[in-house]
Amino acid sequence: MTQTIFYLVAGVIVASAVLVVTLRNLFHCALALALTMFGISGIYLYLGWEFLAAVQVLIYVGAVTVLIIFGIMLTRKVMDDNARVMNNQVLISLIAALAILFLFFEVICRSPFQMGDHPSAVMMASIPTNGSDQLVAMNSAPQFYANDVAALGAALLKPQNGFAFAFEFVSILLLSALVGAVVVARKDPS
Amino acid sequence: MNQIPVVHFLYLSALLFGIGLFGVLARKNAISVLMGIELMLNAVNINFLAFAKFWGQGSLTGPVFVVFIITIAAAEAAVALAIVISIYRQLKSANVDEAHYLKG
Repeated sequence: MTQTIFYLVAGVIVASAVLVVTLRNLFHCALALALTMFGISGIYLYLGWEFLAAVQVLIYVGAVTVLIIFGIMLTRKVMDDNARVMNNQVLISLIAALAILFLFFEVICRSPFQMGDHPSAVMMASIPTNGSDQLVAMNSAPQFYANDVAALGAALLKPQNGFAFAFEFVSILLLSALVGAVVVARKDPS
Repeated sequence: MNQIPVVHFLYLSALLFGIGLFGVLARKNAISVLMGIELMLNAVNINFLAFAKFWGQGSLTGPVFVVFIITIAAAEAAVALAIVISIYRQLKSANVDEAHYLKG
């Protein structure tokens, strides 16, 4: 049952992502993007990261899509429906995208992740068998962990993790992006 | 939950990345290019979370990276749309192949 839901959600994600890059009307593209982001938050839920799924819906469906729709509305006047939506390097782009897709699939197929259905099996296979106590430790380790918001916040801000500086730096980045967006988008006063 | 192998998440994310890359390379409108970039960033996020779940050994580094990526993607979207609006004001067009002022 849960498997069926996963493959259904994955199909919705891929289909709506294809719509995002192929639809002619930009509004429809933005709506398909919102659907894709919903599906991706479903994948996060499936993996057990509930907080990140909520963040995904809030930021991507709530904020980024609305921002993109605003951008479309502000630059819409010159768009006529008969104009081509693709530039003249569609064929080369298709070849490049398919090539990188082929490369990824090839790498995934050859990777050790393919060996077992469950990560513990892969881990057992990839660990040299000289340290038996290590194997026991691996065996007894729980496979899935509680991942609540408090643990994520602690992981972000604990000094020994080393993310505290990046966390503060990202807040400065957000402030400068805010100011920069206003400065870049405002009308030239002269 | 345990039945789905981690590679299927990787296949999904690779597909999403390829579609996003095609959008970035082939679309004319700058806002479409931006949407392709968002797709690629989300493909990366799926990989991070799948690996953190299956291989993370309880480490929260993957989710922390996802939080950073989401934050930076939001900042990037805001600045990129401001640039698109500015280009539109200059050129009366939002097509990326018409913005070639820096070409020698």
